[in-house]
Amino acid sequence: MIAAFKRLKASRGVGKFCRNRLAVAALGIIVLYALVGGWVALGDLLPGRAGITYAQVEQPVWPTPINGFGIPATNERRVEAARIITREVKRAVNNGEGFTDIRYGLLHILPGTADSDTELDRLSTLIEESEDLYDQLSEFDDLNSPEPPMLDDGAPDPDSIDVPSTIARLEGAVRQMFAPLSGWQSLKQSLLHSLGTDRQGRSNFLRVIFSIKVALQVGIVVAIISVLVGTFLGAAAAYFGGWVDHAVVWLYSTLSSMPELILLAVLVYAFSGSVFDKVSNPWLALVPVYAAMCMEFWIGPCRVIRGETLKLKELEYVQAATAIGFGRFYILLKHVIPNTVHLMFINFSLLFIAAIKFEVVLSFLGLGVKVGPSWGRMIQESTQEVINGIFWQIGAATVFMFVLVLAFNIVSDALQDAFDPKHVG
Amino acid sequence: MWSYVARRLLYSIPVYLGIILIMMGALRLRDPVSAYLGKNATAETALLKKASMGLDRPFLPIGIEDPAEPFGIEPIVEVGRVGFYPPLRTQYVEFLWRILRFDFGTAERPYRSWQFESDNVGAKLADAVWPTLKITIPALVLTATIAILVGLLSAAYRGSVLDKTLMVLVVLGMSISVVVFIVLGQVFGSSWLNGKLGFELFASNGYEPGIQNWVKYCALPVIIGVVVGMGYDARFYRAVMVEETSRDYITTAVAKGAPRHKIIFVHMLKNAMIPVITRIMITIPFLITGSIVMEYQFRIPGMGKLLIDAIVNKDFPIIQTFTAVLAGLFILTNILTDVLYALVDPRVRLA
Amino acid sequence: MMRRPRSSTTCSLLAGAVGLLVAMLALSPVAAQSTGEKFARLPIRSDGPKSLDPAKGSTSYDNQVVCQIYETLLQYKYLVRPDSVTSYEDVSEPLLLAEMPKVSDEADGKQVWKFKLRDDVFFHDDACFPGGKGRKLATDDVFYSWKRLADPKYEYENYWLLQDTILGLDEFKEKFATRQPSKSEPNPPPPPPFDYAAPVEGFRKVSDTEFEVILKKSVVRFGWVISMFQTSIVAREAVEKYGDTLGKHPVGTGPFILKNESDWKPGQNMILHRNPNYRTELYPSEATPKEQEQGLLASAGQKLPLLDRIELTFYTPDPVMWQDFQDRKIALVQVPAEYFEKAFVKRTKRLTKEYSDNGIQAEAVPLLDFIFRGFNMEDPILGGYDEKRTKIRQAISLAVDLDEHNDTFYNGINVVYDGPIPPPLDGFPKNGKAPNSFRGPNLRKARELLAEAGYPEGRGLPEIEYYTSKGSNQAEQTQAEIRQLARIGIRLNPKMVDFSELIEAINQKKAQMFGFAWGSDYPDPENNLALFYSRNKAPGANHYNYDRPEFDKLYEQIIVMKPGPERTRIIEQMRDMVIADVPFVGSMARTRFYLAHPFLKNFKPSEDFYNWFKYLDVDASAPR
Repeated sequence: MIAAFKRLKASRGVGKFCRNRLAVAALGIIVLYALVGGWVALGDLLPGRAGITYAQVEQPVWPTPINGFGIPATNERRVEAARIITREVKRAVNNGEGFTDIRYGLLHILPGTADSDTELDRLSTLIEESEDLYDQLSEFDDLNSPEPPMLDDGAPDPDSIDVPSTIARLEGAVRQMFAPLSGWQSLKQSLLHSLGTDRQGRSNFLRVIFSIKVALQVGIVVAIISVLVGTFLGAAAAYFGGWVDHAVVWLYSTLSSMPELILLAVLVYAFSGSVFDKVSNPWLALVPVYAAMCMEFWIGPCRVIRGETLKLKELEYVQAATAIGFGRFYILLKHVIPNTVHLMFINFSLLFIAAIKFEVVLSFLGLGVKVGPSWGRMIQESTQEVINGIFWQIGAATVFMFVLVLAFNIVSDALQDAFDPKHVG
Repeated sequence: MWSYVARRLLYSIPVYLGIILIMMGALRLRDPVSAYLGKNATAETALLKKASMGLDRPFLPIGIEDPAEPFGIEPIVEVGRVGFYPPLRTQYVEFLWRILRFDFGTAERPYRSWQFESDNVGAKLADAVWPTLKITIPALVLTATIAILVGLLSAAYRGSVLDKTLMVLVVLGMSISVVVFIVLGQVFGSSWLNGKLGFELFASNGYEPGIQNWVKYCALPVIIGVVVGMGYDARFYRAVMVEETSRDYITTAVAKGAPRHKIIFVHMLKNAMIPVITRIMITIPFLITGSIVMEYQFRIPGMGKLLIDAIVNKDFPIIQTFTAVLAGLFILTNILTDVLYALVDPRVRLA
Repeated sequence: MMRRPRSSTTCSLLAGAVGLLVAMLALSPVAAQSTGEKFARLPIRSDGPKSLDPAKGSTSYDNQVVCQIYETLLQYKYLVRPDSVTSYEDVSEPLLLAEMPKVSDEADGKQVWKFKLRDDVFFHDDACFPGGKGRKLATDDVFYSWKRLADPKYEYENYWLLQDTILGLDEFKEKFATRQPSKSEPNPPPPPPFDYAAPVEGFRKVSDTEFEVILKKSVVRFGWVISMFQTSIVAREAVEKYGDTLGKHPVGTGPFILKNESDWKPGQNMILHRNPNYRTELYPSEATPKEQEQGLLASAGQKLPLLDRIELTFYTPDPVMWQDFQDRKIALVQVPAEYFEKAFVKRTKRLTKEYSDNGIQAEAVPLLDFIFRGFNMEDPILGGYDEKRTKIRQAISLAVDLDEHNDTFYNGINVVYDGPIPPPLDGFPKNGKAPNSFRGPNLRKARELLAEAGYPEGRGLPEIEYYTSKGSNQAEQTQAEIRQLARIGIRLNPKMVDFSELIEAINQKKAQMFGFAWGSDYPDPENNLALFYSRNKAPGANHYNYDRPEFDKLYEQIIVMKPGPERTRIIEQMRDMVIADVPFVGSMARTRFYLAHPFLKNFKPSEDFYNWFKYLDVDASAPR
């Protein structure tokens, strides 16, 4: 096999591919995604030190939804965030609990010193100030378009508070409850807020990055398994012929006679709810999705490789090898399959795209990824936000997915042009 | 040729039986009765429901009766713990028998859906076909037309700016998930657009029968379907056309001085029709399934929505019938395609 | 210039297609019909009812439609909404009856209910009657309709309403029930066919309009049951003619009719027309003060129903329903939680200026909800009445932050309270706080209890399997709970399954912990306390498999006790017992907000009963 790869590298196809600058750029983007995904996956192996864990993604980075790109939230939202934070801190102070549970992204209340009396006093003062300002603001019915209260004679009340500055003071008081962030930390915090948050206050940025790992996971697993299974079965069917061929053809005729989405849905339904839905083992959680997709996807490569093998079977060097007396399995593995490697690559990239897109549709229908973010779930969760005019979640998910799928499309086109120029369809 | 058809049909029978077996088996891995129990169910109710659903019988003629869940049918012969039951009283064979008679519920001998207890499965499927076709057929026609056009032009002017632009646009359509198009389509294509126009051009959801309502309810899903589906076809046709341009007859035509548009639209198109037709024929069975996601979001009562509702609500009769009918259709269409292909292209021999 | 033969055909084809498109465009905005009828389009927030047969009805969506077409003996008073309800007499009035039933207790513990039917009730005109004219309602119809609930053909779906209540009815049901094979009787004979003519001791006919129902004991629930849609009166002729298609072809006595079967397009909509032969029923003149102030008595004395036609549209995705309300396509809407902030200022729970300026009406409807996270008391690790396991559950309860849930997912409009009894029923603790509450969050105490139970910081406690349904924001709520419990070291393994699987898991006692809810069938706390009655264990409503003999004894007491201070005291005792044992973490009751366009009149929604569509009216500005 190694020899086959060496031959591949030196072949004309690779050269042609490298000359296509767009394809190389797209490949670069894919590598970038792979690096990010791999880094995220480190979160499972080295939690806390590298990567992103599921728990981190679920953590709200702010108590209320916020806009991306730094666009400020409405007054009502800002006041509500202040109220929630004040309530949390007050409860922690009253119950004598530590403050480790109050975290919004990188914002947290300094541990250790929180037990000291001075720190508790300081927090209590801030709590009082915040509640006081909040009460002042409750005069207004709608802080987003506040109407100044009128005096009896119809003139505006000169003693009424100025809403924007009061809100600013409220936010200031709340911000002081938290430990100050260093420059680097506040940069990270604003990165977390960069693409806005969803309804629970979870960072869209984190979620969309985490979803890269999910997508790559699904794509790689499904594509590799499908290609390997399909290749082996297809080659075997064509090479050995006879009942092996009949069996394989029967199998894929059966499976491809069912509409894809139905088969997928029925399989996911059949597999679901059992051992697989474990958050603690995210690799296992997607097994129903993998199984369902692989059962459908292996057919493509199988047909293609079978066709190719039928042609290769008649070539002279194969016949020569048979004549010399090499075993059939040996010929299959050493001579036939290596010459289909280029088709395997092409199919891999095509199936990768198909897997990602299918995952999106399945998750959108609620049948796919059930725990943790994925692009499909983000889009599904965003359907109600969109009617309210909030496009952060759907925008982030769509753009990130779009770039990856586009890159793969370009690469697989280039691969086909390079290795299989007569290929049609 | 007829021997080929006969052989293929014969060959398909085990395939078909296999599909039905796999599908019914997969469904029965989970117990659907709980979904239909009301609020204060008793064990009695559960048993009665099970009997009325026909699930109290064995699935296959060979089975082991579980004392906790008795079949209530006498085995013909018992070998140890394994019993052989009369085939017609098993769920699998009973369903096959139904398919054979093509009997999916009549007034006298009803075959009721579990969700819609007053409706026969056959009637429900028949009602759902037409709305789906109203979307898939126009979508197919439009997609094919535009894709062929794009493919032709791209191939004819291969390498030019036009080609590159068209391919970029096409890939764009393919790289954004259909669900995004649906969500955005409903917001912008409907509510926003209607606001700007002052009257309702596209409804954001729903369905009413009648040709005059087509634009209102079906046009938007069709447009989205075309945008998403066109990509694959366009690239395929482009590749086909590219292959055609290298042929000798094109060189001859150019040498003879034929104008470019005639070459494109007359010669290339005619000769490339074979793979085009094949591809279109392959997608015909899919016309009936429709797009599940589209119908669900747009609340169109077509086959896709019927199926997804049946799956979510564990309505076995509908799922089984749907799959049985569709699989049969697929198999027949596959055979038909192969035959047509052979008839049209004398170079192809039916194996 | 050479002509392009192909192009000309293409051109003409294209022209033809464009022409067709233009023609269809021109035809499409044709108005549906301007018949001058008064109608309103109302949403139903599901795929629609499964069946219009009362004996098979189970969900509130079935209820919403069935009660427009069929009627029960009693109904809820539309405009009487007292702050607290004790007995059915507080809020019920006769509908098919001429007067409220007279109840008398016998010396031997039985209770006799004397009913007198109205003399002017007729069934809808339908082909099942001779000559197509609807027949007058009579006593036999009431007995027939209630006997149907005991007919095994309907799988006893709603028999629980009359179980252990009417004298002789249980025996009547048993006579026709299929006996299951057992050790002593491996092949029991099949039961005789169901015979509606067989007598039931508790159904005593006096005349065609007067009858008595004898109860085994003074079952308090019965007064509520006779307003529930499952006990609606159906016509025997209709059942015999339509058999199991009665679900599509209802024949009732109510203010609306389903004129043709095709008026119901499943999954799409249903059109109900006014019953042209409806008897004289008038808009109520009795109202509690708040409703009077709202001007709801303006139509008092008018003949019902006020609308000629109502179109019920079924919506499954919420965004679509919300958009249709914005486009004035539906007259009212239940505000989904996601859109609350579009119409209301979250902080004050009042309409935004934009909405109130447009005259949109808003109503807050508190629901009789009991939203909880339950435990399987028979689970070896989590369930049990001993100290160790109770402490684990208490710790879990103290770690869950229901206020955060309320704020994040329900815009703070829900009521968070202790115990299983929602406001405003008897037994609801004052201000929602019970004396022995374990409501969180109190992480310090939770950690203490967990350590006392032998799992300091959750070490040694295996993952807990937590089943929830897949609904709209359930996934997010579950993830919030996982986060909350992780704070004290407890790990949840969430299984988000669809509703039927959730029921299955609970019924098979596989779910250690599950998120669920109970909506009271009627405003009596007994309905909620029944959830802890040991006889209702899975597959019944006692999903926790709670089993305490002391509780059972008290329960059996209150089902027959007349409402009053003595009964309330026992109810409170039961409530505190349940709170101490922590078979669930709870609770929350939702407040549903409704919006209506200004053209909809007499708008006072309720979810305790649904037959208020007949009171609705529209003014001239409504779409026609």
